[in-house]
Amino acid sequence: MSKITVFKAKKIVTMDPSRSEATHVAVQNGKIIAVGGADCASDLGECTLNDSLADAVLMPGFVEGHAHLMAGAMWKYAYTGFHDRVDPHGILHKGRTDIETVISELTKHERALSPDTPLVGWGFDPIFLPGERLNKGHLDAISTERPIAILYSNFHVMCVNSPALALAGFDEFTEVEGVVMGDNGHPTGELQEMAAMFPILHRLGIDFRSLAQSEQSLRDYGLVSRNAGVTTITDLYSTMTEDDLDEMIRITSEPNFPVRIVPAIGAAGADPEQTAAKAKAWSAKSTDRLRLGSVKLMTDGSIQGWTARVKAPGYVGGQPNGIWNTAPAEIFAMCEVFQREGLQMHIHVNGDEASEVALDALEAAKEKHPENNRRHILQHCQMMDYDQLKRCAEHGASVNMFSNHLWYFGDQHVALTIGEERAERMNAARTALDLGINLAIHSDAPVTPLAPLVTAWCAVNRETMSGRILGEDLQISVDEALYAITLGAAHSLHLEDEVGSIEVGKAADFAILDQNPYEVAPTELNKIAVLGTVLGGGVHRI
Amino acid sequence: MSESSLPVTVIGGYLGAGKTTLINRLLAAEHGKRVMVLVNDFGAINIDAQLLESADEDTIALTNGCVCCTMGNDLYMAISDAMKRTPRPDHLIIEASGIANPQKIANTAISDPDLTYNGIVTVVDAENIDDLLADPMICAQVGDQIACADLLVVSKSSDLPIDLRDTLERLSDSEVILADDMQSLLGLTFSDLSSPPKNVLGTHHPTYTQWQYQGDVCLDRNDLKELMLKRPRGIYRAKGFVRSPDGSGWRVQVVGSTISIMPEVSCEQTIMVCIGSTMRFDKSACEAWWAT
Repeated sequence: MSKITVFKAKKIVTMDPSRSEATHVAVQNGKIIAVGGADCASDLGECTLNDSLADAVLMPGFVEGHAHLMAGAMWKYAYTGFHDRVDPHGILHKGRTDIETVISELTKHERALSPDTPLVGWGFDPIFLPGERLNKGHLDAISTERPIAILYSNFHVMCVNSPALALAGFDEFTEVEGVVMGDNGHPTGELQEMAAMFPILHRLGIDFRSLAQSEQSLRDYGLVSRNAGVTTITDLYSTMTEDDLDEMIRITSEPNFPVRIVPAIGAAGADPEQTAAKAKAWSAKSTDRLRLGSVKLMTDGSIQGWTARVKAPGYVGGQPNGIWNTAPAEIFAMCEVFQREGLQMHIHVNGDEASEVALDALEAAKEKHPENNRRHILQHCQMMDYDQLKRCAEHGASVNMFSNHLWYFGDQHVALTIGEERAERMNAARTALDLGINLAIHSDAPVTPLAPLVTAWCAVNRETMSGRILGEDLQISVDEALYAITLGAAHSLHLEDEVGSIEVGKAADFAILDQNPYEVAPTELNKIAVLGTVLGGGVHRI
Repeated sequence: MSESSLPVTVIGGYLGAGKTTLINRLLAAEHGKRVMVLVNDFGAINIDAQLLESADEDTIALTNGCVCCTMGNDLYMAISDAMKRTPRPDHLIIEASGIANPQKIANTAISDPDLTYNGIVTVVDAENIDDLLADPMICAQVGDQIACADLLVVSKSSDLPIDLRDTLERLSDSEVILADDMQSLLGLTFSDLSSPPKNVLGTHHPTYTQWQYQGDVCLDRNDLKELMLKRPRGIYRAKGFVRSPDGSGWRVQVVGSTISIMPEVSCEQTIMVCIGSTMRFDKSACEAWWAT
């Protein structure tokens, strides 16, 4: 029989309703065998005390129900964003709060690059920087020889310097949509949307797929998860191939790999029968740290990009309704096949017209194949209000809400997208809980930073960047928010019997924190420091 | 008129319109080109066994040199790979997904100096287009697919009913042909504008027409642009080199409504070639236009 390790902590917040607090947890073979005081496992065998976490608070490892593998890989490029961010190695990068700082930091980065490497930056967001827009002049000040490309945080826009423009042949004669021209008739350096960005990306060897699916991106994903206290994380639109899968199994099986990954296979644009066959075949290959078998359906776009499908009265600026990435007819066809095959579906729904179509499609599929009872999960659910959530409750689906939007984009939603009234009821976690729906909340990293305690803070406080409270009536309690980032998310992934709480029989997956979330003010939840994680009994300190 | 960049045609159209059928026919036709096709769904490509050279997980190779590949989830990676492929294809055809706006893909071909935009062909299903355009959920996206097309191909019909013609004319002033008219499609899509129209499928009367000018005409960029904007309606594609007063020149490409004028270091003689379907293209209108 393998040995028993007893971890001692300042406090253990278990999220187990039958024993909410403890000081010790005993672990054997990666599983929890006892929870309680110092002698909780003394009659189970020989115990070794591990008191390296004695000054910390332990919670169940957080479960991030909506993120993307790309979250770690961007750090191979220079960070240029407005907000503070921590890289996979735990180093804090202060936000660049004006253009001068963006440029001076990039200049430092450039000096360290080898001569034939392009300088690539990421995370830039002009919405936060008043004054002159970033242009090739700023970037030419860094170098007029080395190509420079700065990707914006939304990945839909970039700014490049003169050598990069020359690589693509963009000049005063160019008439290409998205190549922005200045008053002097020459390109400013700003390139909007993929078609204009492609010639540069292609020539500088930047490809989004290798950012999402490479050994380095996988290892970095593990590190950003550890830094956020996350021990189970999704990859919610996996594009992996059979070869990628073998590689992923190999890397995640290494003893020190720090996180469990739940990829959902992207279903858009493919024959659902083939996607279903792949999901089922791969499901059988699941390992302890890699859980396959679910699928991700796309529907509409994003609200802040005005591409989400919203019901009347539409966008407040009079923008046309958004676009379907998957046609309603295809959504129905896919739901039917996946329901028939008993596969769990994650369905992306931002706008309320998209969530309505998804609900219609799920109900139609269930009527045809009532024999399969797998819980599905609606993702983002940003505009679902009482009537749609009621249907969701009747259907037994989970919701995973994009609570981070309240802080990061809440003010923009009031002023620019759907207006005050509908913005106030966005991400209605309160309504979902009142209807008895299983709730998870998420970051959609790298769209917003991976940090479940910050996501919990967003759902609890509903504060925007300008400091207003958006929809006070829809705030949830700290307890409810902590449930959503642990057991709620675990339940949505059908893993509630394995992770999400610290109780006997579950995996020994913990978040190591410097404070007890129940003992800080609800407005201070986001200030709690994550010190690392424990995965299956293995300690991963930052 | 040598051309180093890779011509790109985008095939658009709503789900079930007949894009795959069209692509199968383009792959199998006797056009003498090494065509590479990027498709969304591999399963639907049923190549005649006699034409099949080899097939693996994501590529089908044909005995006539054509290749068909799945683009997976990343269209742009697939385009990048196509550009690096050896031997390089003569022509790249990209199937847009049934819900996509083909213009977004086409813009890549317009923007990249190593690609040449060769038009958007949108397939319209004669049987259900009215229903789609009446569906508030989807009408805008279907309408956009038609509006951005340079050539509209009507499938599942042996003629062009007047109602359908009116519907399409309301959304687009582009040329409309029937899916069965492969000769027009092949001619308009693949002809390289350097030789007289070939009798592609062996019939006696080509269904498309070419007009050509060679001479000393010399224009600055603004005048050239203005001239191209006034071109006769029936021109589907045009290509040329035009002398500039300062001794340099311009390379001109026209497909449908898209005009591209790029500087050339030198140009000894002005050459302009235009092509259009015989139904709509009038050589004398071309002569009159150019004479201005």
